[in-house]
Amino acid sequence: MRSAKMLTITGVLAASAMTLAACAAAEPTAVEPEGPVDLRMTVWTANEDHLALFDSIAEAYMAENENVTSITFDPLPFEDYTTTITTQIAGGNAPDLAWVLENAALDFVGSGALLDLAPTFEEAEGFDYDDLTDSATGLWRDGEGLYAYPFSTSPMAIFSNTTLLAEAGVPSASEQVAAGDWNWEEVAANGAAVKAATGKAGFIVRDFEYQQWDLLSTVWNGWGAQPWNDERTECTMDSDEMVDAFEFLHEAAFETGAMPGPGTTADFFAGEVAYTVTQISRAALLGEAGFEWELHPLPAGPAGEYSVFGQAGIGVIADSPNAQAAADFLAFFTNPENSRQLAQYFPPPRASLLTGETLAQTNPLLSAEQLDAVVVDGIATGVTRPTIEGSAEIQQAVRAQLDALWTPDADIPAVLTSVCDAMQPLIQG
Amino acid sequence: MRTETAPDVSRASRRSRRRTLSYLAFYATMTVLAVPFVFPTWWMITSSFKPITEIFAFPPTLVPENPTIQPFLDVFALQPFAQQYWNSAYIAIVVTIGTMLVSSLAGYAFARIQFPGANAIFLVVLVGLLIPAEVTIVPLFQMFNGLGLIDTHWPIILVSTFGAPSVLTTFIMRQFFLSLPVELEEAARLDGLNRFSIWWRIAMPLARPALAAVAIFSFLHVWNLYLEPTVYLQSTELFTLPVALTRFTDAYGGALWNVQLAAATMTAVPVLLVFIVAQRQFVEGLAHTGLKG
Amino acid sequence: MTLTAVRALPSRAPARPGGAPRRRPHRHRRQDALVGYLFIAPQALGIVAFVLVPLGLIAYYSAHEWNVLAGTFRFVGTENFERLFTDPQLGGVLQATTIFSIALVIANLTLALVLALLLNRRMRGVGFFRTVFFSPVVVSLVAWTIVWGFLLQADGGINGMLATIGIEGPNWLREGPTAMASVVIVQVFKNVGLNMVLFLAALQGVPHELFEAARVDGARPSTIFWRITFPMISPTILLTVIITIVGSLQVFAQIAVLTQGGPGTSTTVLVYYLFQQAFQFGKFGYGSVLAILLFLIVLVLTIVQWMLRRKWVFHEN
Repeated sequence: MRSAKMLTITGVLAASAMTLAACAAAEPTAVEPEGPVDLRMTVWTANEDHLALFDSIAEAYMAENENVTSITFDPLPFEDYTTTITTQIAGGNAPDLAWVLENAALDFVGSGALLDLAPTFEEAEGFDYDDLTDSATGLWRDGEGLYAYPFSTSPMAIFSNTTLLAEAGVPSASEQVAAGDWNWEEVAANGAAVKAATGKAGFIVRDFEYQQWDLLSTVWNGWGAQPWNDERTECTMDSDEMVDAFEFLHEAAFETGAMPGPGTTADFFAGEVAYTVTQISRAALLGEAGFEWELHPLPAGPAGEYSVFGQAGIGVIADSPNAQAAADFLAFFTNPENSRQLAQYFPPPRASLLTGETLAQTNPLLSAEQLDAVVVDGIATGVTRPTIEGSAEIQQAVRAQLDALWTPDADIPAVLTSVCDAMQPLIQG
Repeated sequence: MRTETAPDVSRASRRSRRRTLSYLAFYATMTVLAVPFVFPTWWMITSSFKPITEIFAFPPTLVPENPTIQPFLDVFALQPFAQQYWNSAYIAIVVTIGTMLVSSLAGYAFARIQFPGANAIFLVVLVGLLIPAEVTIVPLFQMFNGLGLIDTHWPIILVSTFGAPSVLTTFIMRQFFLSLPVELEEAARLDGLNRFSIWWRIAMPLARPALAAVAIFSFLHVWNLYLEPTVYLQSTELFTLPVALTRFTDAYGGALWNVQLAAATMTAVPVLLVFIVAQRQFVEGLAHTGLKG
Repeated sequence: MTLTAVRALPSRAPARPGGAPRRRPHRHRRQDALVGYLFIAPQALGIVAFVLVPLGLIAYYSAHEWNVLAGTFRFVGTENFERLFTDPQLGGVLQATTIFSIALVIANLTLALVLALLLNRRMRGVGFFRTVFFSPVVVSLVAWTIVWGFLLQADGGINGMLATIGIEGPNWLREGPTAMASVVIVQVFKNVGLNMVLFLAALQGVPHELFEAARVDGARPSTIFWRITFPMISPTILLTVIITIVGSLQVFAQIAVLTQGGPGTSTTVLVYYLFQQAFQFGKFGYGSVLAILLFLIVLVLTIVQWMLRRKWVFHEN
């Protein structure tokens, strides 16, 4: 008898649960507000100089557009940036504008979460839509639509610590370039010498930290390796080129000590590393550096010279009640005039601005020659970092397998085969 | 123990020496065992006074060589830490008081009041003990999402006070009220007090030890919550301390150990001090309930 | 923590759920019933809203897939359940969960019992050490875990200490076996104080005459422990085993802060995997299926311990 009563209770509850779920499932209704507009944009930089520049552009915009009463730039931790944005969208707390990292580009562009910006940009006064280069916007297009503005198109380059290299008695990076030795083999050899002579680190791929493996594309492209084929349907992490590239990294991490091993920290900008692969936007951190430094393009790999650039797009969330206002602000934020200012940190996708001379005007730390070599050539000849649909899951699955590679006696071909075993089911859809 | 016919001096002194040795052995063992319990806290506090250059110094420095309070200042510069501290504190206090009320009401009713269906309802409530918070986090997220309460403190407060976490404390209260003699309440009833007054004026004052245990349980529970705020909260200024602690990184996501440890120190030390002052009530209160959280 | 805790407690009054003393003036009955419902209402409604309804919703969500970015929510039938059987990761996840739970229970209970036995004496300083061993319980979990994560870095404090005496320590959090051991150890030292206090209370409840009698009979300390102490505190041991196992299935912050489930998937326990699937990969449907699995595991464990209790445990009254 008691169990009968329990059953009834359960039944009632189950029924009410279903009703509730049905209500929850049938929601979003966007309202177009007429009153004052507050815009929020999520960004992953928390750098004060970057934010100050954003704020000054935003203030200029609000001065002209009185209906926009506030524009907030909301820095989110880089580590789980995409997860946080997705959760915010799921939780009905979506930002109006969001930086989208390139590794999630396909997820966002293909989903319909972002507003098509092409109509707004075409009509915006002084925006000069045709100035945007095709190579920079490729990732963000779907048919005729443009779903994000490739706000930062930042070539990966190498900063080197000249002071530290001299201390170890090895040639500086420009001496290497002059001698025709600007390749990974020499960089690793010098790095090992630095480690042996000073105890500091030889080279690092910044932010990689043995987790964010797609950052290693800055290395493996020099070996001509790709994580997947062009159609993104087949894993190629087990290719011969990739095996060679990982053998190079493994040797640097575990035999020569040129690259610090997993779990050890070394910061180039604190003077603890001889070479770092990073984006030139990080030059901002060198303002107070207590050492001499140089900037060069990526060194050549066995497959020759190459370049890789990283991108971040700014998109407008389609469901935002202020979507159009947000798109209008974005057109202002990235117009030629403001792009010129932003260019000191974030190389723009605009043909008119992509010259060493123009970039040098706003980039006090870097010379026109450096910028020509790294930025202008880099964007012209480079490839973007790898991107794929379902990036969060693939990122995690590959990371889990690659962990086995970062041990002293790892079987590299076997690990990379297991990487593909894990990745293949995820990219076939 | 055998009785001895005459006091044997040498044997007595040998025995006392042996006792001294066994004392020493006992204290030595205990001290060694205590290291992993004390050392992390010590290391947390001292490292938070170290400049970043000393954090990974070799050999490690047990006491900072160049003590600085800069990490503590950085904590407040990098995050709205005072606001986050307030968030954690007020949520913990609201939930603790709420849980004490909810649990003592329900515990009292289940122990003392006869009403149809009491057994069945009690069993249904006990199901809450069986459900790890992780099981219901997805539907709870979506329910609160439907109500527009994501990125507010409401989900944490409501679920902790009324949901599964308060079942254990209801159970503790019920057990306690069952063990109280009924005569006092019967007398109060005959004097014409209603149930509510009996609960509030007679039963509750008697229930102080159990209420203390309930308060400790629910405070520690809420103070430590990590999954829930991670899922429900998105704005930095709404974060609670455990979430904030994991977010101390430089502009590009690199770990700032000394700043993070300074924040951890500020989170841990006040509760630790309260515990040291009131440790007898803590330990005995928990032992008294015969349960743990 | 568990249903059976109802009986494991040495309750001084008859443990009849909802039972009230029998003799009661008749006229109060109806009014009493109303008051009773009012008193339990906050708790009961809370359980309905925040436990039972979500449980029902899990069943509903497990048959659906929600794409957050596209804003679609569609019925997929048993697809998510089928995935449970084809998921290549799940085996490793269940293995990690099992290893973690068993290692944690053994380490935690052994240490708790040893500490309780050592401290179960009248001696100066006992109270001090009890406080010391209990203190991590009140330290914020995330703070405690962050400090250990810092200590366990490749170039962190522990390896630094080891290096001063000439030992090269392992890279604790980056190698499978030591990563799992680290997570277990961090958790043991955090919470062993609670079990120690429960054991101390149980030990103090054992009648002193039993020990005296055994000693008079010339029993050795080990015999006394296995024949008297252990059986007498067996209800507490079983209770703590279950509490610790169920608690170990909920370990989340430690994994998230220390290893993020790595290296490989060696420390990806079920709860962390559930979080990854639902909140990192946006697979809320599959996450719901994993939640059902977690619920079933806890349910089975509870039933098993309930049956074991009847069979093995020394009678309590």
